[in-house]
Amino acid sequence: MRRRGDTVSWLRYLTLAVVLVGLAGLPLPAHAAAAAEAESNHDPLEGFNRGMFWFNDKLDLYVIEPVAKGWDKVMPDAVQHSIRNFFSNLRFPIVAGNALLQAKFKQAGSDVGRFVVNTTVGVAGFFDPATGWGLPAHDEDFGQTLGYWGTPPGPYLVLPFFGPSDPRDTVGLAADSFSTVYPFFIVYYYTFGARAIDLVNTRAHYLKQVKEAKEASLDYYSAVRNAYVRRRKALVNDETGISEKEAEYLYNVDTDEE
Amino acid sequence: MYEQRTNCGHHPAGVSEQRLGRWLAACLAVFLWIGQGRVAGVAAVESPTAVVQQTADAVVAVLADKSLTTKEKRAKVEQIVYAHFDFTTLSKLVLARNWKQLSPEQQHDFVEEFKRHLSVTYGRNVETYNNERAVITGDRQESNGDWTVKTKIVRPSAEDILVDYRLRQQDGEWRVIDVIIEGVSLVANFRSQFQEILTSSNADHLIQLLREKNAKGEPLKS
Repeated sequence: MRRRGDTVSWLRYLTLAVVLVGLAGLPLPAHAAAAAEAESNHDPLEGFNRGMFWFNDKLDLYVIEPVAKGWDKVMPDAVQHSIRNFFSNLRFPIVAGNALLQAKFKQAGSDVGRFVVNTTVGVAGFFDPATGWGLPAHDEDFGQTLGYWGTPPGPYLVLPFFGPSDPRDTVGLAADSFSTVYPFFIVYYYTFGARAIDLVNTRAHYLKQVKEAKEASLDYYSAVRNAYVRRRKALVNDETGISEKEAEYLYNVDTDEE
Repeated sequence: MYEQRTNCGHHPAGVSEQRLGRWLAACLAVFLWIGQGRVAGVAAVESPTAVVQQTADAVVAVLADKSLTTKEKRAKVEQIVYAHFDFTTLSKLVLARNWKQLSPEQQHDFVEEFKRHLSVTYGRNVETYNNERAVITGDRQESNGDWTVKTKIVRPSAEDILVDYRLRQQDGEWRVIDVIIEGVSLVANFRSQFQEILTSSNADHLIQLLREKNAKGEPLKS
């Protein structure tokens, strides 16, 4: 039953992805490409994206954020933290699997150790003793794997419900949806409940950050776009800084009046 | 004297041992003389890492001080941060090629409003301080002479946040010109927003937008 449901949504993803990968090939002049990359401004689907962004924002404003606020009021921070740990532990197959796919064997090994420790000593993942024992959390997904092997992200794309993305990460999202632990441990009709709790709990964690980001920005849409593109690039390259090429563009600006 | 100075960086070709010694002594003297002139009044030139470390320590000390009200904390933090950020360079980088198109008055207004905007929005964090600490994890010199200091913010019940500071030296002092949070640069982020606004309208409108936002965000919630 759930297999068929998954196949249908998978097909939908695939069709969407194929169309979008096609769009990714839209030509862009070389100098504009360098500039756009540094500024993360390349957005040929801006009209569509702004529409989706508006939809997601309203959905968040009227449904998800209020629920998350309520959740945040009743649930102590420690409980929220434990629930975050629990769901993060369930992402083990995605994180470790994609480390393997990127030939990061040591990291994958560490992830296996982390999963074992947190599932047993950490009581089904609600606690995270592993981080303290030198087995830190890693952030990997199939979108990053594709990027690691050279797949370009393609144009920025806002998905309904899922939010900021790009064709590469959309394919990644679809692929990863096959490899969560959910199907193995939780009965199908419970997974909706579980996903809802995961969503609300995560949103509660970001209440302050999202509010701050909205207040800090003059154009929230392009602030989010820039942050998404930059953050994904940093994750793919496993770096936290600015690359030489981007630094040249960002910091060596000729602004002197003389 | 002048001639010696210009030769300092190069190997003096064809000189005897004795003359080399005298040449080095002269170089050293010039170096010291320049050094003194530059750092007059200041104890020593702080390294970029020291600047970040001291700024972080000073801010954390204020935040952890229970005898201060939120308002006092905010004023003190603002004072510390203002002293170590180069808002003029930050503004130039954010506006990039658009900077030159602004009149001197507009440039002045922009720097002031942008500075206030950052203070108004990020200053709120003073209220929600929860024993976070900043730990310096490394530093490196950039090819254009800037310096990057890498830090992580350690939070008691949440994941660490990686924050890089980029500093530039001006008048002997290192000041922050960009903050890069988990790979997202403050300069790049605002540049893309302001670019969007400047494309569809003009600098006066941008300054006006900042002004309105600052006026709205000014009051401090308890």
